Amino acid sequence: MFEFGYAEEEKLGKPYDLGLLKRLYPYARVYGRYFLAAIALVIMITLFELAIPYITKIVIDRYIVPQTVIGTEGEKNRFLTADPDDPKIQAAAARYPDLFEMKAGQIQIAYQNLADLDAETLALLRADDLRGVGIAALIFFGVIICSFLFTFIEVMVMEYTGQRIMHDLRMQLYDHIQSLNVSFFNRHPVGRLVTRVTNDIQNMYELFTSVIAFVFKDFFLLVGIAAVLISINWKLALISFTVLPVVIWAAFIFADKARGVFRILRVKVAEINTRFSETIGGIKVIQVFGQERNNHRGFARLNHENYEAGMHQIRIFAIFMPVIELLGAVATAIVIFYGGGRVISETITLGSLVAFISYMRMFFRPIRDIAEKYNILQNAMASAERIFQILDSKERLPEVPARPDHPFAKETIRSLRFDDVRFGYLPKEIVLKGIDFTLNAGQTLAIVGPTGSGKTSMINLLTRFYDPNSGRIEINGEDIRNLPIPLLRSKMALVTQDPYLFSGPIRENIFPPTEEWSAPGIDEVLYASNARSVIDRLPQGLETDLSEGGASLSSGERQLLSIARAFARDPDLIILDEATSYIDSETEARIQDALIELMKGRTSVMVAHRLSTARYADRIMVLHRGRIIESGSHEALMEKKGFYYQLNQLQNG
Amino acid sequence: MKSFHLIKPYFSENRFSIIIGIICLVIVDLFQLFIPRVVKWAVDDLTSFQIDMFGLFIYAMEIVGLAIAITIFRYVWRRCLIGLSRRVEEGIRDRLFSHLQILSPKYFDKTRTGDLMAHATNDINHIRMATGMGMVALTDALFLGSAAILFMAYINVRLTLYVLIPAPLIIFGTSFFGSRMHRLYGEVQASFSDLTEVVRERFTGIRIIKAYNREAESTERLERMSEEYIGKNIRLVTITGSFFPMMVFLSNLSMAIVIFIGGRQTILAEITPGDFVAFISYLSILTWPMMALGWLTNLIQRGKASLDRIDTILKTEPAIADPPDPQPMREYQDRIVLEKVSFSYGETDEPADRGEALSDIDLTLEKGKTLGIIGPPGGGKTTLLQLIPRLYDVNTGSIRIDGKDIRNVRVADLRSLISFVPQEPFLFAGTIRENITFNDPGITEEQLIKAAREAALLETIEGFAKGFETIVGEKGVILSGGQKQRIGLARALLRDASILMLDDPISQVDTETGNTIIETIRKTAARRTILIVSHRLSALKAADEIIVLKNGRITQSGTHETLMERDGYYARTYRLQEMEEALNV
Repeated sequence: MFEFGYAEEEKLGKPYDLGLLKRLYPYARVYGRYFLAAIALVIMITLFELAIPYITKIVIDRYIVPQTVIGTEGEKNRFLTADPDDPKIQAAAARYPDLFEMKAGQIQIAYQNLADLDAETLALLRADDLRGVGIAALIFFGVIICSFLFTFIEVMVMEYTGQRIMHDLRMQLYDHIQSLNVSFFNRHPVGRLVTRVTNDIQNMYELFTSVIAFVFKDFFLLVGIAAVLISINWKLALISFTVLPVVIWAAFIFADKARGVFRILRVKVAEINTRFSETIGGIKVIQVFGQERNNHRGFARLNHENYEAGMHQIRIFAIFMPVIELLGAVATAIVIFYGGGRVISETITLGSLVAFISYMRMFFRPIRDIAEKYNILQNAMASAERIFQILDSKERLPEVPARPDHPFAKETIRSLRFDDVRFGYLPKEIVLKGIDFTLNAGQTLAIVGPTGSGKTSMINLLTRFYDPNSGRIEINGEDIRNLPIPLLRSKMALVTQDPYLFSGPIRENIFPPTEEWSAPGIDEVLYASNARSVIDRLPQGLETDLSEGGASLSSGERQLLSIARAFARDPDLIILDEATSYIDSETEARIQDALIELMKGRTSVMVAHRLSTARYADRIMVLHRGRIIESGSHEALMEKKGFYYQLNQLQNG
Repeated sequence: MKSFHLIKPYFSENRFSIIIGIICLVIVDLFQLFIPRVVKWAVDDLTSFQIDMFGLFIYAMEIVGLAIAITIFRYVWRRCLIGLSRRVEEGIRDRLFSHLQILSPKYFDKTRTGDLMAHATNDINHIRMATGMGMVALTDALFLGSAAILFMAYINVRLTLYVLIPAPLIIFGTSFFGSRMHRLYGEVQASFSDLTEVVRERFTGIRIIKAYNREAESTERLERMSEEYIGKNIRLVTITGSFFPMMVFLSNLSMAIVIFIGGRQTILAEITPGDFVAFISYLSILTWPMMALGWLTNLIQRGKASLDRIDTILKTEPAIADPPDPQPMREYQDRIVLEKVSFSYGETDEPADRGEALSDIDLTLEKGKTLGIIGPPGGGKTTLLQLIPRLYDVNTGSIRIDGKDIRNVRVADLRSLISFVPQEPFLFAGTIRENITFNDPGITEEQLIKAAREAALLETIEGFAKGFETIVGEKGVILSGGQKQRIGLARALLRDASILMLDDPISQVDTETGNTIIETIRKTAARRTILIVSHRLSALKAADEIIVLKNGRITQSGTHETLMERDGYYARTYRLQEMEEALNV
C-alpha cells in the first residue's frame, strides 16, 4: 500500500493546535461509553502491572528476608525468630545448640546461620514463609491472568471503537464529497480525493487506537508508578525522580529531531516513488531519447539522499535509545546508593529497595513510548486538517428540498425549453452564448457541431451538473432550479460516450438494487436494449462481477449495458452523448438498434457525431462556438444548403 | 537463500564495520548482564548488613560505569550494523531501478504499474527490515538470550530449567501467530485496496452516479466495503490483540515460577536473596530475546521472500536488446524500408476484434522526405511509429535502415538517430529546462532557446516568473495540454536527429501556432526523414507521401493532390476540416 498524494507532505512537521482535536471530539463522543470502558480497563491493567513488582516486594519482605534486626551500628544482624512452645522447634534447637539462642522468651537464629541447618529443620522452621510464598505465587498467577484477559478486552474495545470512528468519518467524508458539485470534481484530481477517503482516514485510525490507547496507558502507568514509589518511600522516590527532568528533556529533543528526519524520509520516499512511476510511465520517452543513464543519475542522487536521511534517523535513534537506558541505569544506581543507605539505617526494607529498582525500570518505558508516538500524532493531525478542509467546502448548487409529495413527481415531461441560456465553466470563457429552443414531448433533438462548440455543456446544464450563468432552462414551464435535483434526474437517463460501469454484479449496474424487479421485467429491458446476447455470453450472466477482471467486455458491449441501464430507468427524457470511439460494425449496428428503440416514444436530446443518427431527429441544431447557427429538420436544413448540407455531402460522398 | 547473492556484496563491502558492530554488540550484552550481578551483590550485602555507605557508593558507581560503557558501545553497534540495512536498501533499489529502465515496453504492458511500485516500496522495505533490525536483533537475541540463561544457570541450574518452561511456548507462539498475522495483514491490505478502488471508480464516474440518482446506493456499497474492511481489521486484531498480551503473560509466568520455586529456594537457603533478585532481573532481560526469536524468524522469512521477488525481476531479460554481434550505425544516409511488417501486441485477453495492430505494411522512406500518416483511432498509426526505434519488434517482416535490419544494429545507435514526440508528451516532475534537456550538461543555452523558439514555446516560458526553471509538477500538472505538448516538441527538436517522428504533435495547440510549428519543422526536412501522424490534415498537406492506416492496413497512399482526387477517407476528412475552419474565420 503506498500513497500517491506526495505533494502534500510539505505540510507535515508543523505543530498543530488544539482546534483540530476539538473538531475530532464529537466523533469520539458518540462512542463515549466504549472509551469509558477502555479507560476503566486501562486503569485496571495499570493496577495489575503495578502489582507485579509489589508482590515481589511483599515476598521478599514478608517471607524471604526476616525483618527482625538486632544489634548496634556496625554489628547489626538479621535474626529469624520461632515459637519456643512448639515441641518440634525445641527439638531442632536442641540439635543445633551453637546456632540457636534463647532471648526474651523467643528462640532465634542468625540469618547467615540458616544455611548450616539441614533441609528438614529449615523447612520446619520456615513452614509459614513457604506457605506464604506459595500463596503469593498463586496471587501473582491470578494477577497476570487477569492482566492478560483485561488487556485483550481493552485492545478489542479500542480497535472496535477506533474502526467505528473511522467508519463514521469515512462515510461522512464520502457522502460529503459525493454531494459536491461536478465542478468540484473537475478541479480536484480524483487521486487526491481518494487519498482523503482512504489513507488520510487511515492515519486518523492510528490516532484513535495507537495514540489514544497507548498514551492513556502510558500516562496512567507513569502516574501509578510515581504514586507507588512515593507511597513506599517518598524521600527515595523524590531523589530517584531527579533524573526525570533529564529524561523528559531528552524525550522532547528526540521527538523534535525525529519529527524532522521522519518528515525528510517521507518526502524522499515519496520522491523515489514518483521517480519510479514516472520512469515506468515514461519508459518509451526515456528509451527513445537514450536517457537511461541520465535518468538513473537523477534517481541515484535521490536514492542516496534517502540513504543519508535514513542514516541520520539511525544516528538519532542510536543516541536516544541508549541515553534513555543510561538514565535508567543512573536511576538504579541512585536507588542502590541512597536506598541501600536507608536499608542499612532500617528506614526502608530490602523488598522495598528491590521493588524500587523494578519500578524504576518500568518508569522509563512510557516516557519513551510517548516520545515515539508524538510523530504518529503529528501525522494524524496533518491528515485531520486535510479532511476537515474538504468537509468545510460547500460547493453545491442551490437546491430546493426534496419532498415526496412534490407535484412534479407525478408529472411527465411535456416540454423542455432553453431560454437565452448563457454558460461558462470559467467566468471569462463563455461556452454557450444565448441558446434558445423549445422541445415538446416525444420529439428528438440532435445537436451537431465541431469539437468545442458547446455540445457537451448543453448536456451538463440539462442534467443540472451546472447552472447557467444567465437565462433559464424550463421543464413543463418550470425553471429546473425550482425542482428537487433527484426528482429532476429521476425523469431522465444519460447515456455517455464513456459507458461508465461500476465494479460489482452487472445486475446492480443495470437495475438499481433498491428497486424490485421481476424476471419478465428484467428480460424485457435486456431484450429491448440488445444486451441479452452480452449477458448470455457470460457464464455467470447478470451476476458476473465486473470488478474481478473475469469479465472482459469490449467497449461496444459496455455501451450496450449502459443502454440497458437507461432502459431500466424508463425515463421521459433521454440524454445521449454519442460515442466516437471505434466499435466494430456488427456491435455498432446493435447499438444503433438499441438506441432507436430507447428513443421511441420519448423525448430525447442527443449529441450526434454521425449524421446518420442525426437525420432521423425531429430537429437538428448546428452549434458553433456556443451559438446555434442552423436549426430545423433534416429536410429543411438540406434545403437551406448551409453547414449541415455540406457536412452531409461530405460524409455521404 | 538462492537470492542471497544480491545482498552479499554489501556484507563484504562493510565487513569491517560489521565485525566492529558485532564485537560492540557482544560487549553491550555482557555488560548488560553484569548490572543484575552488581545489584545481586548489593542486595546480598544489605541482607547481611555487610556493607557501609562507601561500599554502596562503589556499587552505584559500578552500575553507572557499566551503563556509560553500554551507551557508548550500543551507539557504535547501532550505527555500524543498522546502517548496513540502509546501504542494502539503497543498493537493491538502485539495481531494480536500473534494470526496469532497460526492460522493453512490452514488459510494462503486461505488468501492472501498481505491482511494480509494490516491489519498489514494500519488498525493499521488507529487505531493509530483515537485514537491519532483523539480522541484528536475531544475533542480539540469540547471544543475549543464551548468555542470560548461562548467567541464570550459574546461579542455579534447577531454577533456570523451571523458569525456561514457558520459553518454547513463546518461541513457537510467535512463529505460529506471526505467520497468521502476516496472512491476515495481507487480507487487510487487500481489503484496503478494494476499498480504495471502489472510492476511485465512484469518484471517476460521479456524473453517472448523479444522473442516475445512485448516490445512496454508492454510499451503501462503500459502507459494505468499509464494514468488510473493519471486519478484517478486527480479525487481525483478535490475533495481535491476543498475541502480545499472551507473550507478556508467558514471560510473567516465568516470573511466577521464580517467585514460587525461587522463593522456596531462597527460604531454604539454596540461593541467596541477591540471587533471587538477580534472577528476576535476568528474567526481564530474557523476555525480549524470547519474544523476538519467533518474531524475527518471520521478519527474516518475509525479507527473503521479498528478495526472491526482486531477484525474479532482475532476472527478467529485456525482450529487446543488442544482438550478440551488433553492427554499429553511426549515421543515417539513404532510406528506411518496411517490408511486409506485421505486428500484434499479443498476450492480451482483449476481445478478438483487436488482433493484429499492423498487417503487411510495405513502405519506403527516403531521406529528405516527409511521410504523413492519418487514419481513424485504433488504425495502427502510433504502433507504426513505435516499431522504428524498436520499442517493439515486428512479428513478421522487417524494418531496414540503409539496408541493415534494425534488429542487427546496436539499440543505442539506432535510437540515437531518432527523435520522437509521443502522443502523450510525458513530463517528469522537474523544471522545464530539465524536461527539455534531460539535464544534459552538453547542451548550451543557445540550443535550448532555439529549440524552445522552434516549438513556439519561448514566449510562454518567458511569461513564467521563473522561466526555464519553472517546476512543472508531477506529469506537468501546472501546464496546459498545449504547453506540455510543445515541451515535448522542444525536447525532440533539441536533438538534431536524422529521423524525426511526431505522433499527433499539435493536437492541443491552436491552429495558427500549429501551422507555424509545422512550417519550422518542414524547413529542416531536407536533412532528415520526418514521419508525422496528425488528425489535423493541414499539417500533412505538404508531406511527400501520405498514407491512410485503417485496421492496421494501408488503405490509401499518395500525395495530397492524388488523394484529394480519389475522394476517400483523406479527401472527406480534409474537406470536413476545411469547412470547420471556414466557420472559424
